[in-house]
Amino acid sequence: MDNTVIVIGGGISGLTAAGMLAQQGLDVTLLEKENETGGHLARWDRLFPDRKKASDVLDFAMKGLNNAKIVTGVTITGISRHQNGFTVTSPLSQYTASALLVATGFELFEARKKEEYGYGIYNNVITSADLEEQFKSGRKVLTSEGKTPGRIGFIHCVGSRDEKVGNLYCSKVCCVTGVKQAIELKEMFPASEVFNFYMDLRMFDRHFEELYYEAQQKWGVSFIRGRLSECSENPDGSIILKTEDTLTGKPLKMTIDLLVLLSGFVPSGGTRGISKMLGLQEGDDGFINSADQHSQNNLSGIEGVFLAGALKGPISVSEAVADARAAAAQVTCYISSIAVTHD
Amino acid sequence: MKPGGKRQIWDEYQKEIADDNYFYVRSCVRQNFFPGAEKTFFRYMKQLGRNVVENPSHTTCSGIGYHSDIVPFETAMTMVARQFALMTEAGYENFVTSCITSFGLYSEVLETWEHFPEVEEQTRIHLRNATGREFLKPKNLAHASDVTFKLRKEIADAGRYRLVNQDTGKPIRVVEHIGCHYSRMFPNKGVGGAEYPYVLVGMIEDWGGEVIDYPERRHCCGFGFRQYLVKANRGYSISASKKKFDSMKPYKPELILTNCPGCPMFLDRWQYAISEMEGTTYGENGQGIPVMTYEELAGLILGYDPWDLGLQVHQVPVEPLLDKMGIPYDPEKKFLDIDGNFIGKPKSPSFLKFY
Amino acid sequence: MGALYEKLRQDVRFVEGLKACLNCGTCTAICPAAEFYNYQPRKLVDILQTKDDEKILELLKSDTIWYCGECMSCVTRCPRNNAPGLLITALRSLSQESGYFTESEKGRQQLAIKRTVGHWILKYGYCLYPSQITPENHPEQGPIWEWEFQNIEKVMERLGANYQKAGPGVLRAIPQEDLDEIKKIFDETGGTARFEKIEEYSKQKAEEMGIQLDDGLKNDYIKHIYTAVNKDHTTGS
Repeated sequence: MDNTVIVIGGGISGLTAAGMLAQQGLDVTLLEKENETGGHLARWDRLFPDRKKASDVLDFAMKGLNNAKIVTGVTITGISRHQNGFTVTSPLSQYTASALLVATGFELFEARKKEEYGYGIYNNVITSADLEEQFKSGRKVLTSEGKTPGRIGFIHCVGSRDEKVGNLYCSKVCCVTGVKQAIELKEMFPASEVFNFYMDLRMFDRHFEELYYEAQQKWGVSFIRGRLSECSENPDGSIILKTEDTLTGKPLKMTIDLLVLLSGFVPSGGTRGISKMLGLQEGDDGFINSADQHSQNNLSGIEGVFLAGALKGPISVSEAVADARAAAAQVTCYISSIAVTHD
Repeated sequence: MKPGGKRQIWDEYQKEIADDNYFYVRSCVRQNFFPGAEKTFFRYMKQLGRNVVENPSHTTCSGIGYHSDIVPFETAMTMVARQFALMTEAGYENFVTSCITSFGLYSEVLETWEHFPEVEEQTRIHLRNATGREFLKPKNLAHASDVTFKLRKEIADAGRYRLVNQDTGKPIRVVEHIGCHYSRMFPNKGVGGAEYPYVLVGMIEDWGGEVIDYPERRHCCGFGFRQYLVKANRGYSISASKKKFDSMKPYKPELILTNCPGCPMFLDRWQYAISEMEGTTYGENGQGIPVMTYEELAGLILGYDPWDLGLQVHQVPVEPLLDKMGIPYDPEKKFLDIDGNFIGKPKSPSFLKFY
Repeated sequence: MGALYEKLRQDVRFVEGLKACLNCGTCTAICPAAEFYNYQPRKLVDILQTKDDEKILELLKSDTIWYCGECMSCVTRCPRNNAPGLLITALRSLSQESGYFTESEKGRQQLAIKRTVGHWILKYGYCLYPSQITPENHPEQGPIWEWEFQNIEKVMERLGANYQKAGPGVLRAIPQEDLDEIKKIFDETGGTARFEKIEEYSKQKAEEMGIQLDDGLKNDYIKHIYTAVNKDHTTGS
């Protein structure tokens, strides 16, 4: 065993882990499928809870790369195991290492699969990712008719907690994303009404609950407990929502100008592909199981293969960074022949 | 609206519909209120060289009784089993229903037997005890609108008329209405699924018409079984239809096309009732919006005489649409019996134009 | 878990229809009955999943379980694959089997349905029959139906039906041996027993209410249940 490591995936987890491993003196190569690193984070504007720029977090990770080798545009076609480690093959090249750190991440649920929400059919239905892109571009967020949206709706749990689309799990971070984006739209259009349609509000981390409070108290965002059942389109392009306000127990119909779907996480194509090549253990939800969710959450159960980030399930950026560093520490121990599990 | 989004969904919900040799079971509502429709189905199936058989010993599936909860599930399942037994006895394996509630019931029963094989066993025992009959499950279950959908291009090719306004050259604007029990319980048993069903859209498109979407497209017509059968409950039923009419009116539909036999009856009659109650009509110039079933429309496309199809028993007259499509008909023959004698003319509603 | 809940669990439709409800409201959002009546399928399912026999008994006696139109819109949408529409069928079955249906205004209507649709299934082999759909009971069918009703044989003949005749065709006379088979099916599967129960319990209720009930449709009790509507059913109260 030598001190070579391959990190598969150049999102925030992969970049963070690669930097830490390089800092610890290992010979790191990061392989990224797309032409640029940064993953989803590169497409986002601002992060919850403190509204810092996503690019700040990305820059921090990039600065910390040290002498890690970054190779982009790599499609991995095979991974084989040999006595001293692994060989990762792509159409143009081959990479070898003693250990693999898989950080292949997630994709967003394809909102068009929730057919009754009309994504891809009704012009004024967009996803949170679409909205985040618009924020990042600095443009005003207008309806498809070019007007200021007077009334905006956010739908929580799109593609999550939903047996109809085959995803039972909660995607965890969409709730706080919805609260954040609601505030951002209120900042953009103080006179507009913003409604968040939720089932439960998962304000799970520090300062998240306070953000929810701020959304209500400072910005007047309305929160209605009811899941969107269907929407349809008026001739003028506005969207009609049908939900139930479950707290008052009455069906509710509302016309809004812009509908934002908070799409959840699904395992990425990269995760599914690498998982098959390596024989990683997939859970019922399609995400990758670690050797133990509590005590060995960066081990895969396969010797020399480590896991970091969203491929194991929905995760926030701060958690992904922490998880990547934990994974890097485990890899370093492994490479240094220090035991990483105890009996 | 981006039409491409719907196309993708339609491609994803493909349903297997048998090619030929159909065992056909009739609809209680259709036979009562649209007596010409099923005969029309047999007629165009024959014209297109397909074999459809009916066993005169078949009965209601008891769907209306089942969904108004006077008929227990075990009874309904055994009624279904008996129909399958008649199919098996006739040597057929492709089962086609005229009624959508039937289609839903047959689907529900087959699914139940899948999930609970002991229930299927029990049903076999019941049927044996009651009638001595045995049955095989159909290899293919479809609704007659599925079959018509499958043959829509052949119908278009053999057709004499199109869903086009002959004067303006514009496609006829059509609202399509799918019966609730077609795909709500099992979306993958409907052509196009539950949200954007394609079974009627396909017919309208291939026959030259333009499909209108409108906010309450998916809303139930309001039959509600007991909500209509009992007079005290009819407010539910008429309100549901009214909701749809109010929603579709701004889009100026010229035709409502349905696949369920009950829906056209309600969408036709509630226009009348609303006009009597409020004076409101939903078509142009005091007319209603004509409502048709797919058999009737297919028959028109193929050039069958409107009075053979049974269009004279619609409360909302279909003549304005026939005029637009350039389909000839003899108004004098509308209310004649089979010997050519005048039966008498129905009274005219107070507001809704009638011919 | 009480006796009533256990009984419901014996109905496969109940087992199919109740997994676990998270009260999201997509069913109520789309329910035509929730638009029209004081009814929320979500609340119904929430009650059922408590398995509380007292609450279930209350439901069986209430109008609540009779508002549903069994359109199954709820089934299409529920993210937990529950089916409020199926649960309703199980509740309605139990309510009639146990006699509680006569405690509610809407529940009492079952006798009217039994004596119309129920009788027609056994007598004609159809759920509906032209001679029985009288314009008097169905003014909403319009003058067109009145005309069809008054001239039924001629209209049927004109449209190629085989009305009341032997052989295949629209509204043919279904052979008696087939109708006998249907009756045997009803006897064998509890259909006849259900019909009898509906009659039995309704008779008791009519007596209790002091309203005259005899056979057929032209008596005070049938007229009453067919038309009585109290204002508490619809929203706004």
